[in-house]
Amino acid sequence: MTTPRITSLEQLHSYLEAALQLEHATIPPYLTALYSLHPGSNADARHILRTVAVEEMLHLTLVANVLNAVGGRPDLTKPGFVPRYPTRLPDGEVDFEVDLQAFSPEALTTCLNIERPGEAPGNTPRVRQRTAGQHLLAASPDEPGMQYYSIGEFYQAIDGGLRYLHREYEQEGKQLFAGDPGRQITPEYFYSGGGEAIPVTDLGSALRALNLIAEQGEGLGGGIYDDESELSHYYRFQQIQLRQYYQKDDEPGHPSGPPLEVDFNAVYPVLKNARLADYPEGSELYAAAEEFNAGYADFLAHLTRAYTGEPPALLEGVTRMFRLRDDINRLIRNPLPDRPGVHAAPTFELAQ
Amino acid sequence: MIFPQGATTRTEPATVTDVEYDVVIVGGGIAGAIMADQLNRAGQRVLILEAGSAEDLTLTGYEDYLTRFYSAVSKDNQSPYPVNPNAPMPRSGDAQPITPGRPDTSSYLVQNGPFSTDTTYTRVLGGTTMHWEAKTLRMLPEDFDLATRFGQGLDWPLGYDDLEPFYRQAEREIGVSADVEDQAYLGISFPPDYVFPMKGLPLSYLDQMVAQGVDGTDVDLFGEHFTLKVRGFPQGRNGIPNPAYDGGKGFTPVGAVSTNQVEEGGRCQGNNNCVPLCPVQAKYHAGKTLAKALENGVEVLAQAVVTKVNIDPVSGRVSHLDFRRYQDPSSAEFVSGKVRGRVFVLAAGAIENARLMLASSLQSSSGLMGRNLMDHAYLLSWALLPEIAGTMRGTNCTGGIVDLRGGGFRGRQAAFGIDIHNDGWGWATGAPVTDLHNIVDSQHKFGPALRNALVSQVSRQLQLAFMIEMPANPSNRVTVDPAYRDQLGNMRPVISFNIPDYTMRGAAFSRRLASRIFERLGAEDYTTYDPADPGYISYEGHGYRIRGGNHLAGTHVMGTSATNSVVDVTQRSWDHQNLYLVGAGSMPSIGSANTTLTLAALCFKSATHIVQQLREERAPLTLSAR
Repeated sequence: MTTPRITSLEQLHSYLEAALQLEHATIPPYLTALYSLHPGSNADARHILRTVAVEEMLHLTLVANVLNAVGGRPDLTKPGFVPRYPTRLPDGEVDFEVDLQAFSPEALTTCLNIERPGEAPGNTPRVRQRTAGQHLLAASPDEPGMQYYSIGEFYQAIDGGLRYLHREYEQEGKQLFAGDPGRQITPEYFYSGGGEAIPVTDLGSALRALNLIAEQGEGLGGGIYDDESELSHYYRFQQIQLRQYYQKDDEPGHPSGPPLEVDFNAVYPVLKNARLADYPEGSELYAAAEEFNAGYADFLAHLTRAYTGEPPALLEGVTRMFRLRDDINRLIRNPLPDRPGVHAAPTFELAQ
Repeated sequence: MIFPQGATTRTEPATVTDVEYDVVIVGGGIAGAIMADQLNRAGQRVLILEAGSAEDLTLTGYEDYLTRFYSAVSKDNQSPYPVNPNAPMPRSGDAQPITPGRPDTSSYLVQNGPFSTDTTYTRVLGGTTMHWEAKTLRMLPEDFDLATRFGQGLDWPLGYDDLEPFYRQAEREIGVSADVEDQAYLGISFPPDYVFPMKGLPLSYLDQMVAQGVDGTDVDLFGEHFTLKVRGFPQGRNGIPNPAYDGGKGFTPVGAVSTNQVEEGGRCQGNNNCVPLCPVQAKYHAGKTLAKALENGVEVLAQAVVTKVNIDPVSGRVSHLDFRRYQDPSSAEFVSGKVRGRVFVLAAGAIENARLMLASSLQSSSGLMGRNLMDHAYLLSWALLPEIAGTMRGTNCTGGIVDLRGGGFRGRQAAFGIDIHNDGWGWATGAPVTDLHNIVDSQHKFGPALRNALVSQVSRQLQLAFMIEMPANPSNRVTVDPAYRDQLGNMRPVISFNIPDYTMRGAAFSRRLASRIFERLGAEDYTTYDPADPGYISYEGHGYRIRGGNHLAGTHVMGTSATNSVVDVTQRSWDHQNLYLVGAGSMPSIGSANTTLTLAALCFKSATHIVQQLREERAPLTLSAR
């Protein structure tokens, strides 16, 4: 068999830290698109975007559980944890960027790119030379020059590393899963998200957690539904593109369920990849954007506490998310001064 | 919870006419949903006839409710639900003061008085559980022997212990969040090691503030001593699943019902508009049970209003039901149909069950059909706390005082429970909208001053709702009168209702207790009752406004014989061997427990009897060899 790419605990930690970063990085673009929808419009798209965002939060939690189980420490407050948008994701032949933008055909394409199915077409190499880019998601954390074809393949590398290290540790009479079980997020503290939070205590539970992420996200192996009869994110987004819901037994690309309505005009035209610098200094808008960023940084610090020994903190996180939603809406509902037809947006620029 | 696409429209009226169902159920509320699901699981072919519209349980239908609620000027408990003249329902704004001798016929419920009730029930798929607050109190053991112990109302033909296992089934179905240690009081008992499906929801900050003044308060009632304490209510809304539930198997909360996965409602978010509608479906509603039942093959014919229960004159059994099916709620046009079955279940709520039977000229040989109509009498008291208490946070109600739900005093005056309302004076005054109007129109505030004034006004509001028991009384009743009909030609319910002195003694005591609690909290009492309001009652020199409880019960009480009751202990009609009248209508008393949990438990019990009856009646006759 081929040598796995992860052969040390340090490597495993850095891959899992990158995974944490990756799962989180999908949330700001999804939230920006979600809250750009006019209230009362685009109910179908709203639910799809919302469901996927909720599942990304589950993925974030599952990765934290795996990282905790192998003795790592999830830290969502590390400098650079939140990427600077636009940011890149590897895309095989052609690179694409992930933007913070309003719900639009372009935003939808980005969503589909992020969640693209795991298998690289044909025999293309799984890991490829990275083209020049800015911030990279799904990049190999210990080989900065390399990138993965998709998020799914990135997780396969972690899967392989976990199995390899588990075997190695066992042979040496050591325990890979030696993390504090008190740090595990159990279903008591997180549910909803198309699956439960899986507490990770051994190889089996670790692989189950990773498998849930891969299945929900990209639908590894081409099937549109996963083991829990849940549609994967890629095909969820595709429904919006094809204006039709999937139903059981449908072939990929050919949904045959009820129609789905989309109105790209019922959307606040928010500034793409907004920066604080786009808002007049000293303006209410500037203050609101700063306030949101500070609130978001607080929220990530709060999550870090939840993931490092205070699981009940997740419950309180709900109220904080409401506040963040209100803060985002406050920005998105306001036009920019002197820029007709353009609305403000959260910038997600964190002083880290 | 995935709702099978098209499940409420797949059954054609023509099919219904051709088939003899094992069980035909009238009404798709919680009682009908539980019966349908249970009987279907036992292998029976089940049809539900629903008076309301079919599409309401899709997510689009649900969100139409939400949109209607958000845009409604009055946020009353029926505001999300469309006006449907073919299946009308009472609305709390309907009630008018009644002139003696002249019935109020201005709205769906014809009210003879003397008391004018603003009680409601919801005629949509999912029934009143769409708007309910989802408190799931068990009844006290003493509530089952009200006549024997206290000389009030009626006894049940069963006791707490008989119903206890079914309470647990109902708590599983509804998904109850509560802690056993909070709920084991006044004789309420649980099997050893029992835990609720989910852990108790935390007390709100407001509850905790009130507890500071209330806990330890001594009350003496006719020589009996009580000490008050604020405690959490059991609730049918999703909280933290208890890993110890079901012998350690845990519990998976049921979220929003939708034809597509939406990942909503897995946990209560504290939106605080549980009544009239939870925006995320974290609150249980019967659609969750219906979705399961429909997935397993239960059939529904919606927009089908049953007009008559037909009896075979020889056997006395129900032969068929007549129904009228409309296409358009606003049009009086309909197509008539008949449906046959082996067993029929009326699950349309206390008033509609009795109304349908009486409209079919079936008074019951006891003469009790429609009589013993009960509801809880609510008395509100409201005050302003000296400091900000976080009102408007949390679900509508998380905690209250239950220490006076039982006791020897019930020989003389009604028992009651007290709700602490996290939604402030909403019920009493229409807060916070009325506060907003007042601050803008009278105080001319705007901007930050308006925001601050609103917060300081609203977040200090304390409203205590006293839910007072009302024993069965045969003269409180539902009747029908051919002079009053709805658009489809169905006779409307005519209500004759009086609040007995027993209940009013409880109300007067409640009012005094509220003043005492407000005093202890340093709160300023704002309670006033307007003689011009419907529900205003003078009692011993004081005026009170009694509100309807939406806990209608007693119209087809269960009992020990065909002479003292309409149904037996299994909710089967004494007169018609294949007819079950289910729901709160069967309850001989309601104590101070919201009725839904108990009626759900009764339905689980009845389902087992119906399955047994169908098996027995289907078994081939064995001819004796001798």
